[in-house]
Amino acid sequence: MTAAPYHTGPADAAPAPPASAAAPRRWHRLAIPLGLAALLITITVLTHAVDQPDPTEPGFLSPVATDADGGSRLAAALRDRGVVVQRETDPLRAVLATAGRATLFVPAPGLLHPDTLGALRDLPGRIRLVLVDPPRQVLEATGLPLVPAGRRWATRAVGPDADGRPCALPEVARAGVAAAERQRYAVPPDRSGATVDRCYAAGLARVPWATETVVIGASDPFRNDRIGERGNRELATGLLGTTGRVVWLDLDGPAPPPPDPGGTDGPSRPANPEGPGGGTGDDEPGTPGEDRGDEGAAADGPSPPNPLWAAFPAWFWALLAQLALAALLLVLWRARRLGPPVSEPLPVAVRSAETVLGRARLYQRARARGPAADTLRAAALARLLPRLNLPADPPADAVAAAVAARAGGTAAQVHDLLYGDEPSSDRELLDLARSLDRLTRTVAGTPDPAPADAGPHRHPPAHAGGRPPGPADAGPPADPPGPDRPAAVPRPRPAPPKEDPR
Amino acid sequence: MTWRAAALLAAGAVTLPLWPAPFVGVALMTVAVLALAAVDWALAAPPAGVAADRGGDRRVRLGGTATVTLRLANASARTLRARVRDEWVPSAGARPDVPPGRVVRVAPGTSVDLPTRLTPSRRGDRPAVALTVRSYGPLRLAFRQRAGHPATPAWTLRVLPRFDSRRHLPEKLARLRVIDGTQVTRGRGEGTEFDALREYVVGDDVRSIDWRASARRSDVLVRTWRPERDRRLVCVLDTGRTSAARIGDEPRLDTFLDAALLLTALAARAGDRVDLIAADAVVRAAVTGAGRPALLARLVDAVAPLQPALVETDFALIAGEVLRRERRRSLVVLFTALEAGALGEGLLPVLPRLAARHRVIVAATHDPVLTALTAAVPGRPADAYAAAAAWRALAERDRLRAVLSRHGVTVLDAPADRLAPAVADAYLRLKSLGRL
Repeated sequence: MTAAPYHTGPADAAPAPPASAAAPRRWHRLAIPLGLAALLITITVLTHAVDQPDPTEPGFLSPVATDADGGSRLAAALRDRGVVVQRETDPLRAVLATAGRATLFVPAPGLLHPDTLGALRDLPGRIRLVLVDPPRQVLEATGLPLVPAGRRWATRAVGPDADGRPCALPEVARAGVAAAERQRYAVPPDRSGATVDRCYAAGLARVPWATETVVIGASDPFRNDRIGERGNRELATGLLGTTGRVVWLDLDGPAPPPPDPGGTDGPSRPANPEGPGGGTGDDEPGTPGEDRGDEGAAADGPSPPNPLWAAFPAWFWALLAQLALAALLLVLWRARRLGPPVSEPLPVAVRSAETVLGRARLYQRARARGPAADTLRAAALARLLPRLNLPADPPADAVAAAVAARAGGTAAQVHDLLYGDEPSSDRELLDLARSLDRLTRTVAGTPDPAPADAGPHRHPPAHAGGRPPGPADAGPPADPPGPDRPAAVPRPRPAPPKEDPR
Repeated sequence: MTWRAAALLAAGAVTLPLWPAPFVGVALMTVAVLALAAVDWALAAPPAGVAADRGGDRRVRLGGTATVTLRLANASARTLRARVRDEWVPSAGARPDVPPGRVVRVAPGTSVDLPTRLTPSRRGDRPAVALTVRSYGPLRLAFRQRAGHPATPAWTLRVLPRFDSRRHLPEKLARLRVIDGTQVTRGRGEGTEFDALREYVVGDDVRSIDWRASARRSDVLVRTWRPERDRRLVCVLDTGRTSAARIGDEPRLDTFLDAALLLTALAARAGDRVDLIAADAVVRAAVTGAGRPALLARLVDAVAPLQPALVETDFALIAGEVLRRERRRSLVVLFTALEAGALGEGLLPVLPRLAARHRVIVAATHDPVLTALTAAVPGRPADAYAAAAAWRALAERDRLRAVLSRHGVTVLDAPADRLAPAVADAYLRLKSLGRL
């Protein structure tokens, strides 16, 4: 394979065309897989973003909306259970409507004005407040001892006690497996003493304060498209239906700020002692406007200058900038290399006896002890027979007797060694190989009473390996290579009858 | 840009505390350095005005050192200050006398010689790949460098085989002279080709008396014989997969090349004509013996770039090629591995055709690993399996030898370092017996 460049084409061909042809190919090789991966990731992210319901759009989890992310099926299910569903589109009215025992359901807490959130903190008692996926600002503004602790890419359906802790909300525990784990919540370290019940692997948290607040990180159990799956319906109706009345805050867009305490709004007048008095009652009447102004500035205007800028003189920053420019020049200098790296086809390297060693490993893997033992015995016989002056295909008994007479031991032992059963374990095969090796060496080492003719099965180097050269050992290395007689030219000799090749 | 521009900018940065408006200082200094660099760039000699040329050795024996000189001519009107990198393939072992880090100055209209010493580490063609010239301005703040300017002058150094078996040549030539009869160590030459008639002297073999010629004259005449000349010899090199296996330190093919070169040197001296064919699936090289004095040089040149290919050798192609090229009876020396699979299926079907026309010798090398496997005392079960596999391979080789011998083919199977003298001995023996 690598030898091909030596023969294809003249060697004097200019190397420029292959280099220029290889450059775009190398570029493609990198760009195509990376581009494909980027495309896949982009498509996935876009599809996911499109697929996710947007809490800020009108109709999201609205009791009158019948599309996929509406809440009409939930409202119907609640009514079926005899729960009164009261839809409110104004935060203040909703708060007012919760007088008595009720559940305030806020599907999009992110739309609430920050001032209204303060009011939610101190709703009159015996009210359950359910917030769906509240952002961090909402959690902070309502003063709940919860922080977001990780968000899943998609909602997962889990059991209420998925993280091993039993769920303290009986109506939730009844629902079983439901799609409730998306945004997880944790207790911040500085408020670790707060009592918080968490279910669904921390995807649902209850703060049992005066206003019992339930925070759920996934909107899936309430939505029309997924309310029918698993225990979603039971979870949603259980969460909302405990008090018998649900005040459903259905916001079409960002809610307006609550009216000033001094406002003359009719419906808000009775709320004054409770709502603003509870929400911002700690502050003086003038302060809310100021607070709002500050918050607006922090949200809209540029952030205050980093104090680090003033900590050092201006020349220090200029020095840093100039050194960075100098480093950029260094990069430009080093980016241009003095000629491309040179590649070269390497010759093939095949280790010697690769096939033989591979066959040996195949034998071992297949535990082919029988064929291996047969080969070893045949090789030993081929070495023994010429030394013992025996014909090419002698009877086994005669061979055993002759070998035993020469090498010692009984004929039965030798017969068992040369013609015995195949070994049943690697250990036995190893013993057999060693015994055969010892036998051939012994026979080769003992003087031969009658000079024997070296048969066709001699393997000269096999005998050269530290073996005492017997008189019959007539392999070419033992044969002194005379200057006038080629040492390695074998004389033509008759082929033995058993070696018919085809 | 060079490091000097960056260093200038960094040095200027130290003065920044003294500037009333430091960021203005940054802008001014950056612009100044960039302007200086631009001027320097404009003053650098254009790479397009530089021409490169090469001269020097074309051939070197493996292990030797060749010198190839790169000549840079500056045709532009400005002095060229350049760093030059002349790239060869790594196995060429190039060591430039002027390292690429040093800046070479060439005045306008003159040229400079940049020698490179090459000590190749492998046989074959070792090309020069790329030449890069980086031309600096007088301040060395900026440089010009364009790929392909100046164009790389093509040069290929052919690395010839080492031909280690040269050391056997004097001994074989001495034996050849004995056979030839030119060296009177054993009396007259032997041979089968009729040379001349001369008068009988005491001691001549009476069997060589030509009675018919003696009858025509009053004297007793004897025939004298000389060895055949102008015989044909074909070296066939198998460059297929079996030649890629490494025996000891080098691939089989290198051993084969060594033996073929010794045989060629010997035969060329003996007055025989030598052809060479190297083939695997296709014919890789073919040399037909023409002018005898240059034969060895041509042959060495032809076989130098040969490399083993990982393909199965097509022996039918080889036989056809030999039969097509050699009409007269020749000695065909086939250098290949004695491997039952490759030869049994490839060579044996075509061997009768080849052996009917030519005398065939198969020259192969032993694998010392096989014999080590069979000779060692097994210590682990894996050794016993390895010994069995090795015995089996040896038995297959024996069977193959027997089959080849039955076809009248001489099989030479020698260790790698003994193959070349063994082949030469076989040739001399056939020559002395007059059986070429």
